This record gives sequence, C-alpha cells and structure tokens, in this order.
Amino acid sequence: MRSTKQITLCALLLLVLAVGLAQAQDRVRVRWYVGLGAGTDAPLVAAQEEIVADFNASQDSIELVLEIVDNAQAYDVLSTQIAAGNAPDIVGPMGIRGRASFPGAWLDLTSLIEANDYDLSDFDPALIDFYRVEGEGQLGIPFAVFPSFLMYNIDLFDEGGIPYPPSAYGEMYTDWEGNEHEWNIDTLSEVAKLLSVDINGNDASMDEFDTGNIVQFGYGSQFTDVRGRATLFGSANFVDAEGNAVIPDVWREAEHWYHNAMWEDYFMPNAVYSGSEIMGGGSANWFDTGNMGMITIHLWFLGWGTANLDAAWDFAPVPSHNGVTTAKLHADTFGVMNSSDNPEAAFEVLTYLLGERAADLTSLYGGMPARLSLQGDFIERTVAAQSEAYPNIDWANLNWDAVLAGLQYPDNPNHEEGMPSFLEASARYGEYGQLVDNNGDEDVDAALDALRDDLQAIFDADM
Amino acid sequence: MDMLTEFGAARGQAKWSLRAAFRLTGAQRDEAKWGLLFLSPWLIGFALFYFAPMIVSFLFSLYDFVLTAPDEARFVGLENWRRMLAEDPNTWEALFVTFKFALISLPIGMVSAFLLAVLLNSKHLLGRNVLRTLFYAPTMVPLIAAILIWSRVLNPQTGWLNQMIALTGIDAVGMDGLRWLDDPNLIYVAYTFIGLWGIGNAILINLASLQGVPTEMYEAASIDGAGWLRQLWSITVPMVTPVIFYNLVLSVVGLLQYFIVPYVLNGGNGYPEGTTNFYMIYFYKQAFPFQNMGYGATLAWFMFIIGLGITIFLFWSGRFWVYYAGESK
Repeated sequence: MRSTKQITLCALLLLVLAVGLAQAQDRVRVRWYVGLGAGTDAPLVAAQEEIVADFNASQDSIELVLEIVDNAQAYDVLSTQIAAGNAPDIVGPMGIRGRASFPGAWLDLTSLIEANDYDLSDFDPALIDFYRVEGEGQLGIPFAVFPSFLMYNIDLFDEGGIPYPPSAYGEMYTDWEGNEHEWNIDTLSEVAKLLSVDINGNDASMDEFDTGNIVQFGYGSQFTDVRGRATLFGSANFVDAEGNAVIPDVWREAEHWYHNAMWEDYFMPNAVYSGSEIMGGGSANWFDTGNMGMITIHLWFLGWGTANLDAAWDFAPVPSHNGVTTAKLHADTFGVMNSSDNPEAAFEVLTYLLGERAADLTSLYGGMPARLSLQGDFIERTVAAQSEAYPNIDWANLNWDAVLAGLQYPDNPNHEEGMPSFLEASARYGEYGQLVDNNGDEDVDAALDALRDDLQAIFDADM
Repeated sequence: MDMLTEFGAARGQAKWSLRAAFRLTGAQRDEAKWGLLFLSPWLIGFALFYFAPMIVSFLFSLYDFVLTAPDEARFVGLENWRRMLAEDPNTWEALFVTFKFALISLPIGMVSAFLLAVLLNSKHLLGRNVLRTLFYAPTMVPLIAAILIWSRVLNPQTGWLNQMIALTGIDAVGMDGLRWLDDPNLIYVAYTFIGLWGIGNAILINLASLQGVPTEMYEAASIDGAGWLRQLWSITVPMVTPVIFYNLVLSVVGLLQYFIVPYVLNGGNGYPEGTTNFYMIYFYKQAFPFQNMGYGATLAWFMFIIGLGITIFLFWSGRFWVYYAGESK
C-alpha cells in the first residue's frame, strides 16, 4: 500500500516536471552573453539577473538566459562557442573593439528594424551611422556612450599647493604664480612634474628628484592601449585609407611624449613603477592608490574606480594638443549574432534592453544613454545610483559639466576602429607598447618603424 | 615491492598476458568481461573526450578553419603543415624558446626536488615533519595566485627578492637593478624560480621512493667504509631511478606544454624580446585570439609528435639507466 503511494507520488512529480519542461520548451530561448565590455563585476551580476527575470515575467513567448563570462576569457569563450555552433543570440554591452574582434559574426539589423518599424528618431543619426559598417550593414543600435575626461586628486593638488586644472573646456589654467596658460599637453606636463614626488618630498621639476624612489606620480594613462593613449594627441589609426600601415605623425609625437614622461621626466609610471606596490602592484588601479595626481579615463571608471580612494577628487577637461582637443569616446551597443536561430526573438529582447530598460542598464554600466530622451536627467540618475553604491563620495558636487562637454570632442576615427587582421595587429602593437614602456633606452622611432613594417606584413597576409 | 617496481615487473609480463588473452578459460573470460565493464567508464571517457577530439583536431589541421566562421572552413590538404614547417619562422623560434627554457629549468627542477627530498629524508634533520609540510604547502596554492604573488615578489622596485639582495650590498633595486621579468638574460631564471614553487609533488614522490630503499644496503656500505656521497651516488640514485625516470617524463611533457606562467605574467606577448614566446603560447594565440583554428590544430599536432618522439626516446633510454628491482635483465 505504502509503495503504491510512493509510486503515485513519483508519477505525479514526473508529470509536474514534464508539464513544466514542456511549458519551458514552448518558449523561444534567447541567450544574452555578457563579457566583452562592462557587466561582469560582481555587483552588476545580480542587477542584470533581475532585468532578465523581469523580462521573462513580462511575457511568455521568450525565455531570456543570461551568460556572464569574465572579460579576460570572454573573447576566447565566444570564439569557441561560435566554432562549436553554440553561439549566443545577443552579445553586449560591447565597444567597437568587441565588435571588431568578430568580423562577419554580427547580424545586419536593417531588415529587422524595418520589419518591426523600430523607431530610431530618439538617437543622434550620427551615432546610428557609427554602427553601420560597410559591407556588413547596421550591426548595432546605439546604447550608451562613455566620454573621457581628466580626473584629478584634489588632496594631492592641495598638498603641493598646486592650482587645480580648469573646470571647463577653453578655460585657461592659472598657475601657482598667477600666470595663465592654455590647458594643453605642455601645461599638463608641468603640473604633472610638480605632482610627482620622491621619497624625500622633492618633485620632478627639481634637480634633487630621486628617480629611483618615486612615491607619487603626476599623470597616468591606464586601462587603454597604445592607440587609446596616443589619441590624447589627436585622432588617427595605424591603417590609412588605402589599407597601408602607417604611424601617424601625431601618434609618433605622442609616443615620444609618453616615453619621455616615463623615462626622462618621470611624471608617469613606467612599467617598473606600474607593477610596484606604489601603484597597487600588477594590474591594480593607479588612481585608487591615492598616489596618482591625474588620469584620463572614461565614464565606466566611476564608482568601482575610486572605491578605495580615501581622497577628494574631481573631473576636469582633457588637455588640448596644438590647439585641438580630443576626448576619446567609447560607444557601446548590443549585437545580435548572425548564427542566431531566433533573430526575431533576439531583436525583441534587444529592443527591450535598449528601450524599456535602457535607463536602468546605462546607470548600471555607468554609461550615458544614447537615447536623447534619457540624456536630460542622466546626471541626476547617475548621482543617485553612485551615491547609493559608493556613499563615501560626494557625487552631487562633482564637475559633471566637464564630463558632458567631452562629448563635443570625440575621436574620429575612433581609437578602437578596425584594422585588417584586427586581432593580430592588436597583439603586435601591444608588444610595441610593452617594449617601450619597459625600456628607458629604447629608440621609440625605430620601434615604431618596426611596428609599421610588421603591421604591413600582417595586413598583406590578410589580403 | 613498491608500486613502481611492480609496474616495472608487470611491464615485462605484459607481452605474455596479451598472448594468453586469446587462450582464456570460460571463468577467465567472465573475469575479463567484468574487468572491461569496470574499465568502461574510463574507456568511454577517453574515447569521447580525448581520442575523438584528437582525431577531429587532426582533421582541422587539413582545413583553413577560422574559429568564428566554421561554415566557411575550406579543405586545404597539407597546406597548414607546409606553412608551419617551411614558411613560418615563428614555429621554430617558439620551439627554440621552449627547448632553451627546458634545458635550464628541467635539471634545476629535478635536482632541487631530489636533493630536497634527500634532505627531508635525513634522520639528522630537526623538525622533519614540519619542514616536509612547509615544502609541500606551496603546491596547495592555486598556480595563478602563486604567479601573481611572484610577479610582485620579483618587481624590481618594491619586490622582496631585490630588497633582500640589496641587503648584501648589491645594487639590485630599481630601474637599473635586477629586472627579473624584463631582462632577457634573467627571464628564464625568474620563470625557473616560479617553477620551483610547485615542486612539492616531485619532492613527495622522491621522498616516498627514498624511504623504500632498503636500509641494509646503507649499513653494508657503511661497514665497507662508503661515505655519504658515495652512498648517495652508488645506492640511493640507482635505487630511485624509476622515480627519477617518472619525474623526468612528466617534467619534459610539462615543459613542452609550458603556458600558464607566461600567459598570466604578460598575456603571452613574448616579452621581453620574444624570450617568452613559448610554443604553446604561439599555438594558443593562433588558435584562439587570432582564431586560426586550422593552423592552431596543426601546431598542436606537431607538438604532439615532438612530445611523443621524446617520450619514446626516454623510454628507450630508460633500459640503460633505470633499475627496476623486480625486473630480470
């Protein structure tokens, strides 16, 4: 009798499971892959899961599944999934680099936009064009932009009695003697020298400055690559319109400046110092150590980037070079993979993420919404979100105008723009960066010429 | 007889067992059937997860197969093999780097493990059990974490190693000091240091083998007037050659697959001056970051062939220098 009951109970359970499975199978499964850009930090995971749960509860035709892969592995994992015929449907957020790393893998959204009569009027047309790639189509719909800006450590400026950088683009810098200077690379270099201090308290402008015992640096360029850092001097690329490898003059100049800043003037950490405990060790966050005076960085740095910094800081304009200001821009989107079995369902999810949940997601990732209608209260929402997550910082009283104004000076071509054999070319200029950053006696011109020759060989092999 | 000696003896009997297998009685066949049944999970796992992928990867090597465009894969015959062997200088450079490092790292690693095991086996050593635990403990630390720790220990400016060397009066600290991970002349020493961190397993295996050497041999040698060095060379080393052989094979295979340390320290970019562009790094870059899976598979197979050749050579050479107590010559 007892065993009959047990069998009946088991049968019922199996029935319930089967019905549940059948119901789940009725739904079209859409996989959302996060990892090529923001979204992998622990605090963001739960928030994204909540958005997925909301979507799944909001309708009964699609089951959205979230896949989060750490950024360090995300590129390899996605490559492997594509090769195995197991690619996700939606990938994002991702920048231009993420998109360019998988050429030919993205779905042209044009027909889906037309078929669904998707309203694009809420976006800047130039930004929509930004995702239109020749020969591949409309690979994305604008989601968020991440302008860059200068961040400076107020406490270190106060400690050295150094006036702060200007608060707006076009404003002059007034130095410690009351003289006015254009806020350009030269002025930044002078300020950075004063902010660079050795163990005895001498700064980098002094003859007594002990370059072997520096404890504080004036300027740093971190979380970017050679193309990104060189863009401070102007927009360019390593490939010209004819597809030839080039070292643009402005980038050659930039690379000399960086090398001197690391190995001659010592106001920027070279590879020896960047891996030392002074800068947090290894790949740590320089600005967060409190030993870094100024950095150029993007909006995505906010919050986590200063989580441990026990000092006041603020935003300032990016310095100009030869009268031209370039505040490099990161622009993120979500892509649908062309291998998706359910592009319509994926597009429906995409429109949900970029529409209904755009405000939540941009706040989450720290980006400025690409939707014009959401830009009005962007600062208020960001301040509210960051104040909740990082209450140690007075977010409301930061110079947000300098952040927004940076959007007026985007880099074009973008520093993440594609190149032939993008992945191999990227690896090669990464090797160049490591070489010059690690060696004070390296001939920068010779290294750049070698880079150009190698890039040309890589481009030629791609043809 | 310890396990390794038994293994050596069994090796000699294997050829007889194979012949005998065809002349089994009913009970023996039944026993064999059950044996195979119990082995089947491993056999199925091997077939599915090792053998089949190996065959598939060989097929990949015959295709121009870009990882992100599997539908566009194109049969190219032996083109990838020709490119690898005749056109691509990086293949040979990466092989050279791997062998150069192996020649430095292998003897240091093996001799260190053996000598430390001898030390830890000594009855005169105070705190023997504590030291055994301490020498084994680093093996418990995840390798990635250990490498990251080492990168900071070896930092020229604030790393402990240079700070300690500086105490001796050597100008080791700073940009003009000992730049372990930046100097092509020091890089293999630094990587060997990092490798020594994980020799706990090799020490343990050596130690187990040393404890299996009959003490009567040492007693007899002492009576005959043999000193410590003589006993080590004439008794200990010959008696533990099966373990030395075992460690040698594992170390060679491990070094041919050397990857994690350079990958974690510099992302596999070959810095400094290409000295860390190991073969497996080159394979990985081609197969995954550059997405050339067809060519990557070719590189992997070439390494498999090289590894197989070296292993066969080691097994062949073993008959001249490895002593199995239970084996009749």
